[in-house]
Amino acid sequence: MKPHVIVPLACALAAGVALAQAPATPPAAPAPAAPAAQAPAAPDILPLPEQKIDAKQAELGKFLFFDKRLSGDAALSCATCHDPKKGWGEDAALGKGYPASENFRNTPTILNATLKSRYHWDGRLDGSDPGTLVRDQITEAVFMNADGRLVQERVKQVPEYVELWKTFRKDDPNGMRIFNIVGEFIKTVTSKNVPYDKFKAGDAAAISDDAKTGYELFKGKAGCVVCHNGPVGSDGKLHKTGVPENPQVLSDPEHGPLRAITMLRHYSTSGMPNYMNARTDVGFYAITKAQKDMGKFNTPSIRDLKYTAPYMHNGMLKTLDEVVEFYSKGGGKGSELKPLGLSAAEKKSLVAFLESLSGDPVVIDPPKIPDYRVREFGKN
Amino acid sequence: MKLKLLATALTGALATAAPVQADFPPLGPLPPAPIPADNPMSPEKTELGKMLFWDSRLGGDASSPCQVCHEPGKGWGDGGEISRGYPGTQHWRNSQTILNSAYYNKIFWEGSVTSLEGQAPSAAEGNVAGNGDPSLMEMRMRFIPEYVARFKKVFGVDWPRMTHAYQAIAAFERTIVSDAKQVPFDRFSNGDKMALSENAQRGMALYNGKAGCVQCHNGPLASDQKFYALGVPENEVFKTEPLYQITHRWEHYQKGVFEKDYRSANLDLGLYYITKNPKDINKFRTPSLRELKYTAPFMHDGIFYTLDEVVDFYNNGGGEGPNKSPLIKPLGLSDAERKDLVAFLESLSMDKPLLMDPPKLPPYAVMK
Repeated sequence: MKPHVIVPLACALAAGVALAQAPATPPAAPAPAAPAAQAPAAPDILPLPEQKIDAKQAELGKFLFFDKRLSGDAALSCATCHDPKKGWGEDAALGKGYPASENFRNTPTILNATLKSRYHWDGRLDGSDPGTLVRDQITEAVFMNADGRLVQERVKQVPEYVELWKTFRKDDPNGMRIFNIVGEFIKTVTSKNVPYDKFKAGDAAAISDDAKTGYELFKGKAGCVVCHNGPVGSDGKLHKTGVPENPQVLSDPEHGPLRAITMLRHYSTSGMPNYMNARTDVGFYAITKAQKDMGKFNTPSIRDLKYTAPYMHNGMLKTLDEVVEFYSKGGGKGSELKPLGLSAAEKKSLVAFLESLSGDPVVIDPPKIPDYRVREFGKN
Repeated sequence: MKLKLLATALTGALATAAPVQADFPPLGPLPPAPIPADNPMSPEKTELGKMLFWDSRLGGDASSPCQVCHEPGKGWGDGGEISRGYPGTQHWRNSQTILNSAYYNKIFWEGSVTSLEGQAPSAAEGNVAGNGDPSLMEMRMRFIPEYVARFKKVFGVDWPRMTHAYQAIAAFERTIVSDAKQVPFDRFSNGDKMALSENAQRGMALYNGKAGCVQCHNGPLASDQKFYALGVPENEVFKTEPLYQITHRWEHYQKGVFEKDYRSANLDLGLYYITKNPKDINKFRTPSLRELKYTAPFMHDGIFYTLDEVVDFYNNGGGEGPNKSPLIKPLGLSDAERKDLVAFLESLSMDKPLLMDPPKLPPYAVMK
């Protein structure tokens, strides 16, 4: 795993200065004097890079992604909350959870997930290791609540899975490798035929003039690109934008305090001080316990937004219009952003641009899940 | 002791050929259940423990409270050969009764824990049992105001904790014991000569003599809490049912046996999982013989449905298997003797089963 870089923007800048003054580092040249060839490229949304995918592993991983036996009581699969028909997420503001639990945050899409540099809304997992994300979700009590060793034995009880496994390894399905294989499948779930990507590749007609205007705003006046950059449109950092709390976390009309139970239990297991008195989503603070990280969340991808409403860590914004309006006002309480003063036309253009980042729907048919079969007893 | 004298007299009179009984602690009415010094009893604690015993929120998906595999109406077991287990799984051994579990210092068939306080977490959190995450179960209790108040009263804490929950459950379980007034053998031992039929009295003599049961099933609990291999046949479900096979392998895997044991696992290795000593393969802790009337089927894998089958098994010298105890050999009991022995075994059960109404469970509430 690559190391976490848990440094907020302001500190990163300060650290840059400190580094520049360190004796081993040449003094930073003033920007105007730097040769043009070495100037850092302006941040932008970049094309999705090719990923090296082991097709055989991904084939087994696809079965496992849709197999409910990867959860404790065999009631839900990865696809239950990451539904291909719902943009590989859920269409609800707040996620489901394991039976008798409810999630307290929005379910992120897994589209392009293996290209993210950080996982989870509170950024607690490194993006270079999708297998660990899969393990985290499958074994987490409020998500799939399965014992990893039991998952191994269940997979071994399905001859089709053992056969597929033998196409890429000599041993039996075992341990962490099973989770890595689900991660291999997730690599295949990426955006397809994205107008913006075609535009950037030279097809000027791929996006509307309105979207082109929006693109300039995105990079300029609206400043979105400062955080939403790179292949998935995320800097992989944590920011505070002041999204209002979702009141259903504390008291859900259908589920009462079940989401609050999940939230406080997450704080408790994160070792957060005074967790019993928390009544808000503290975000990154639960991970770092540094006051400056209170209410910060991982910058989400802005690809395929057309399919992944509602938005933000708690699903509080239902449409892209609402999202753009939110940012135009400078975000909510405690936001690190400034008001943008966008006109109605500019907001419309920005939304048009954001929509051009969505490709064709990525839909696949769930595979037919093979049954358990009896094995020869004593030959394991 | 009066009882010992009586039993000795009977043995002496009826079974001079096999005076086994004198070497072993005699059967007799149960003394008060031992209470651990760090978990004293109180009515408030056992009342809380009863609620938690029934509360499905102590488990993964709120489907499997303690009570599901330890039902009062099924002799505080689950009535199946192999315990049902968590949804999506199967357990792999017979669910033992809670009745008189207070008297064991070795709990589970392989004696893997030594107290009820230790048993409760294994059951509530075990992946083929309750599959509950302790931090999640703890947080659930904290959102139930009545539990918050009760834990404060009983344990003096601001917030419920799982360790206290397990203590309360253990305290409740210590109240689930045989009532000597309802047990024919106990009444007989306490002087009511009419309490046992003549059959049962002859059976008692066989128990202490020719049949040799008392060699392991001794003391008031009718268990020496030691480990023996009897060659009990393996339940066929492990050969024919995928879910049982999954759990069978999983148990070997998670118990940390050597890889060769895992690869070839086709037997419940019992005490071996704890000691990893080949001499302990297939050994199980002697169960109590109290309340058998309500706790069929019998043995660690629920292989026998009736006491007749159990007595036949012993009369035939047990089964085949590794490390078989030399105490298990053909007994040569006649049909009449076997009947008498069963009559005696039945006299160790209460006249009526110990039933109990479920408690009213308090609801969740939004926390201010």
